[in-house]
Amino acid sequence: MEAKHDVLVIGAGCAGMRAAIEAHDAGADVALLSKIHPVRSHSGAAEGGINAALGNASDDSPEEHAFDTVKGSDYLGDQDAIQILCDEAPDDVYQLENWGAVFSRTEDGRIAQRPFGAAGEPRTAYAADITGHVLVHVLYEQVMKRDIPTYEEYFAWRLVMNDDRCQGVIAWDLLHGGLKSIGAKTVILATGGAGRLYVGTTNAYACTGDGMAMALRVGVALKDMEMMQFHPTTLAPTGVLITEGCRGEGAYLLNSENDRFLKRYAPNAMELASRDVISRAEQTEIDEGRGVEGNVLLDLRHLGADRILERLHGTRELSMTFAGVDPIYEPIPVRPGAHYHMGGVDADVWGQTSVTGLYAAGECACVSVHGANRLGGNALMETITFGKRAGRHAADWALSHTTVEVPRSTETDAARDLKQLLERTEGERPWSIRDELATTMHENFGVFRREEQMQEQGEIVARLRERYERVVVDDKGDVFNSDLTQALELGFLLELADCMVVSGIARKESRGAHARPDDFPSRDDEHYMKHTIVRVEDDRPQLEWRDVTMTKWQPQERKY
Amino acid sequence: MAHAIAPVPGSTTMELALKIWRYNAETGAKELRRYEVEAPDWATLLDVLDIVKDKHDGTLAYRKSCRMMICGSCGMRMDGAAVLACKTRMWDIAQSGHEPVISPMGNLPVVKDLVVDMSPFWGKIRAVKPWLEPGYDEVAEKERIVSQQQMNVIHKEALCIMCGCCVSECNSMESDPEFLGPAALAKGFRFVGDARDQTAPERLSDLNSEHGIWDCTRCYFCNERCPKGVDPRDAIAKLGAESIKEGIDHDMGAKHAKWFVTSAKTTGWLRETELVPKTQGIVSAIKQTKFALGLAKRGKVPPPVPPHVADRVKESRALYNLVKEQGRDGALGIVQGEHALGRIEFTEEAGVRELAPELQPGVEPPHAEG
Repeated sequence: MEAKHDVLVIGAGCAGMRAAIEAHDAGADVALLSKIHPVRSHSGAAEGGINAALGNASDDSPEEHAFDTVKGSDYLGDQDAIQILCDEAPDDVYQLENWGAVFSRTEDGRIAQRPFGAAGEPRTAYAADITGHVLVHVLYEQVMKRDIPTYEEYFAWRLVMNDDRCQGVIAWDLLHGGLKSIGAKTVILATGGAGRLYVGTTNAYACTGDGMAMALRVGVALKDMEMMQFHPTTLAPTGVLITEGCRGEGAYLLNSENDRFLKRYAPNAMELASRDVISRAEQTEIDEGRGVEGNVLLDLRHLGADRILERLHGTRELSMTFAGVDPIYEPIPVRPGAHYHMGGVDADVWGQTSVTGLYAAGECACVSVHGANRLGGNALMETITFGKRAGRHAADWALSHTTVEVPRSTETDAARDLKQLLERTEGERPWSIRDELATTMHENFGVFRREEQMQEQGEIVARLRERYERVVVDDKGDVFNSDLTQALELGFLLELADCMVVSGIARKESRGAHARPDDFPSRDDEHYMKHTIVRVEDDRPQLEWRDVTMTKWQPQERKY
Repeated sequence: MAHAIAPVPGSTTMELALKIWRYNAETGAKELRRYEVEAPDWATLLDVLDIVKDKHDGTLAYRKSCRMMICGSCGMRMDGAAVLACKTRMWDIAQSGHEPVISPMGNLPVVKDLVVDMSPFWGKIRAVKPWLEPGYDEVAEKERIVSQQQMNVIHKEALCIMCGCCVSECNSMESDPEFLGPAALAKGFRFVGDARDQTAPERLSDLNSEHGIWDCTRCYFCNERCPKGVDPRDAIAKLGAESIKEGIDHDMGAKHAKWFVTSAKTTGWLRETELVPKTQGIVSAIKQTKFALGLAKRGKVPPPVPPHVADRVKESRALYNLVKEQGRDGALGIVQGEHALGRIEFTEEAGVRELAPELQPGVEPPHAEG
């Protein structure tokens, strides 16, 4: 064991850093560990904003925020968790402002709030269109202020189980090479999403679901894994994100006939309907031949140059760089792309998993506040509120328990397995498996899902997993061996794909992001207002169901 | 801003060659290796590196993550100039047949291939105490009231993604590795300019010490190469202006700048003869008498008496007074100037563009039938 701490946070995006700050302030010896430097985390790519009922732009209340979130989740969100999120959100946002977050301001100098999809009020606090960037940096400033030790460029690979509880992690030190074991009384997973399962994704290369897969491997369940959100406005060909803030500011979505087609899908909310609704509408337009080279058009021109330059400066930069389009003059071609995993590590409202000492927060967790469809602006809020809660609980637990031990056998097993991978010289390199996985997931497990395609995808994933058993790593060196870590990431992704397909096939209804237009086009509350719970037993995903927690909101028909 | 002129994404592929400086940390071996790749037309430098790593050589090392210009991982040099690999479209280069040379960023130790050790970079960021000092510990009940205009003062500095491109190109740091450098100083201004921070005088005093703001040589390479429009040199100028406004002028750099103002105000010209004593002090200036006499002998020094006063010196004084009256000294003046310049640049760029004829701004497009 190289070192030990009270609390070890794996992943250093918004959830991870917020958790570490909270644990530190609770008096724990906490460390961060991340495969990339904290400010490189993908939370920084969040653009549009963070939802809290501050009431700065209208009369608003946590109650209303909660209702919008419950409805947005297509009634799959746990209502007790949603209530906590919405109640704690305002103070958590004030806290960020007090730490120095550079929020955009109203005329009277308060935090500005803009309308966002499926929200009844303008509730999304923002910093132009770089809100995530601003939050990542303000959190890192607070991490530096507290001098919280950070294992930078450490690739977390295996959780350490000892005495029936999680007591640390075994990680590959990217800069210097070698496996390092870091012991901890509590471990918080804050590793983000797994968008790299898809070829068209807003997610960074780093988003490979490491925490979810590591938890799965120590027997923790994953929840609602079929629920992958497709964001309606991503750029061809690779899926770079264009913020929902564009539509919040008033942008139109047009088809090839210059028609604001959403009037046929969401006549009231139009471009500010929920993401699942808009992505399906776009995909339908494209499939029925009213797309523009596989896209629809996001038109900002009527907003005018001033507003675009002030509030959507980053969007303009992205459009010009990656699409060659200046949104002041031309509409931006956009299409749905994989964006956010509502599903994740099964965790309670304190981030606790079924394994003692193991917590999860942020996108890698499923508490669940997003259910079957997340509202724009709720992800950043979740990272902060539930990051804080996990940090607090993990610190309290750690401070009342004493021992940490990483068994020698765990270390030697890990070393042996890694050596075996590195010494293999004959076989396939991982990239072709990676590309095939991402292409087929997009094709067969995308915006619309069909039984035969999901079945086929299950078989494809099984074959890819077999091929993965024989992959070869080109780089045998110790220093910055990203060839090795990318191979390990692919292993994580393949296991998650398996869980997603199994859950998707089992959910015989259409709810939120899981749309089965051919065989089960409507929601079935009687049978499926339940979470899918997947564990791996004998190397195969095993599925169970768990009822949604309801408090006061009865399911209604969902219209925008 | 240059527009990437490329065909419709995905319609074709391109062939290109590039040379990459490989560095093996374990053996210390350095080698410039050439790769030929086929890439989709939309490929960026980062995409091309991915193709090299996947299909040609898995040992190639570089950092990457977001591939959308926000995480700051992929700073490196192309043909000697720092770029973000994910922002650099390769189509034009491929068409020209040029073979770019890719190397790691400068001013930071190389770890392997295109990966540099960023710890000196982060050490300097930490040195500027990069966190808000609001003057109290407990959380205020709500947010602090700050106008958008006040927030705009630090808008550009808040865009910084800490990629290190400016540091890579910094000439001053090349000669003095201890120099705080453009990224850390821009971060410093992010707090000095923040209306919520209560420690601006202390911060300015720190930033005025050795290796601080006055060691910048004003080569403007940081502004030139910043991929996000942060303009670190302008942040350094704002720190200078704020320092002088606060009366923190002990550094020779500050004295030098102040003398420019004084001499422009009094005579409308730069009074060079007095520049050295005013900047370096009398004692130091006396030591340079021999050098000054040499200059004088060759006609390089104007006679100090009588002072050379410009014809329309009143204009220069009026300008000085106007800036004072309007409160445009200090950082705010520079910030306001930036906004005005931004508008001019945008309008100039817009001058060559025409609105798409089928749609007009402000008018909802006609609905199709059905």
